[in-house]
Amino acid sequence: MIDLLTVPFMRHTLIAGVLVALGLAPLSVYVVLRRIVFVGAAVAEISSAGVALAVLFQVEPFSVALVLTVLTFLGFSRAADSPRLPLEALIGMLYAGGSAAAVLLIVKAPRGEGEILNVLFGNILTVPVPLLWAMVATFAIVGALQFFASKELLISAYDPDMARALGINVNFWNTVFYVALGFAVAIAIRGVGALLTFTLLVAPGAAALCFVRGLGAAFVVATTMGLIATVVGVFASYVFDFPTGPTIVAILAAVFALSYAYAAVRGS
Amino acid sequence: MANELVSVRGVTLGYGSRIILKNLNFAIERGDFMGVMGPNGSGKTTLLKALLGLLTPLAGSIELAPRNGVPLRVGYVTQRERLDSHFPLSSLEVAVMGRFGMIGAMRRPRRQDYEIARGCLRRVGMEHRAALPYRELSGGQQQRILIARALAGEPDLLLLDEPTNGMDLEAERAIMELLLDLQSEKSTTIVFVTHLLSAIEHFARRVALITRDGTVIIGAKEQMLAPETIARAYASQEL
Repeated sequence: MIDLLTVPFMRHTLIAGVLVALGLAPLSVYVVLRRIVFVGAAVAEISSAGVALAVLFQVEPFSVALVLTVLTFLGFSRAADSPRLPLEALIGMLYAGGSAAAVLLIVKAPRGEGEILNVLFGNILTVPVPLLWAMVATFAIVGALQFFASKELLISAYDPDMARALGINVNFWNTVFYVALGFAVAIAIRGVGALLTFTLLVAPGAAALCFVRGLGAAFVVATTMGLIATVVGVFASYVFDFPTGPTIVAILAAVFALSYAYAAVRGS
Repeated sequence: MANELVSVRGVTLGYGSRIILKNLNFAIERGDFMGVMGPNGSGKTTLLKALLGLLTPLAGSIELAPRNGVPLRVGYVTQRERLDSHFPLSSLEVAVMGRFGMIGAMRRPRRQDYEIARGCLRRVGMEHRAALPYRELSGGQQQRILIARALAGEPDLLLLDEPTNGMDLEAERAIMELLLDLQSEKSTTIVFVTHLLSAIEHFARRVALITRDGTVIIGAKEQMLAPETIARAYASQEL
């Protein structure tokens, strides 16, 4: 099995998986606690539509996807405050609209199905080295932000009124969180695809929250789970000749199912 | 006048074009233990938000007297039902949030912040629950933790929103006696909003009564709880 590491593209695959797990798993705790799980799915579709748009007009796909992703997250940060409409309705329509737009745009693109499949299911096997470095930089910044601004991010999500009473600018920190999330999601989708990105944005945090008793522990456990599931998934896909992204997703789903069952048995 | 901690002058409060409270003129004095009561939907929480600086008056001014040239510190005890029970926070982690406004942006709480928060838990009789998940505590215990959280910010003025809501009489008495102890111990000015007459009747020293027509009457408890005053405030309330 160790010979996997002697194959260059598998080394890159492993590195990409580890980076995305380290970048997204800690964010997944807040994604679950802030009840924006399906924002990840909707944004992934918007990002796909962005890539399809870029392919159609033959411009650099990542920049378009990044701009659309960040703008969509910023939109969500404002929509959360709307008294007129439940956020779920907006998420659902963006998901449907993004999916339809991606398909409609891609059928007219010079490079059709292969490109959209690449976006939707990822191509963790062919992540180029410059993108790996971009992941390192992005996830390092997002991780540092989560560490140093932990109190602002926590109280803005947990008790916004108290935060405002303490002089903390809740709108600013919510915007910072959503922009950071947008960058992390955009680069993760570019590297490993929408499905794995969405799963890593939900499963580690959801699994960890099933049994931890402190928020600090939730971040540590979520990151550890995401990391282990990803490494195991890469090795398993190599050994059993499965597609890598879906293999990691299946393992993360199993980890969540076990955690959920454990919490149900314990009655918590 | 020198004893006034908060001066509310000609204040009108509302959201956009919707006016909730109008022409408010009153003062909160240092060391006050004041209960704010009124019919449902009369604007109790709106008034609290304005005192906290979360809502800008549509007219008039709210002035907080500085202490030795330092801006007044206001502690806030939110309604505990509004806090999300999915957050896996220990009681100490909740209590230390009261320090967040004093730490500086992008800085993490230090050991001394946790020590101060632990001291506040001790003051409210909850130090032995510091490591336990906040969400697993009873309503009364959670309320104590939230009071400790507000105390951790070393407030001159403590504002509480429905501190005994949903509690039985015994738990209500325990919380209100705790507040009275805190008030007499450090002369912290305390203002609490409640819709429960029992909390006002047994514990408040002064009462601010919000009437149905959107004004506020303030006076000694005995005067404010007189049947004719209550009748005026609640006169047009739909049941």
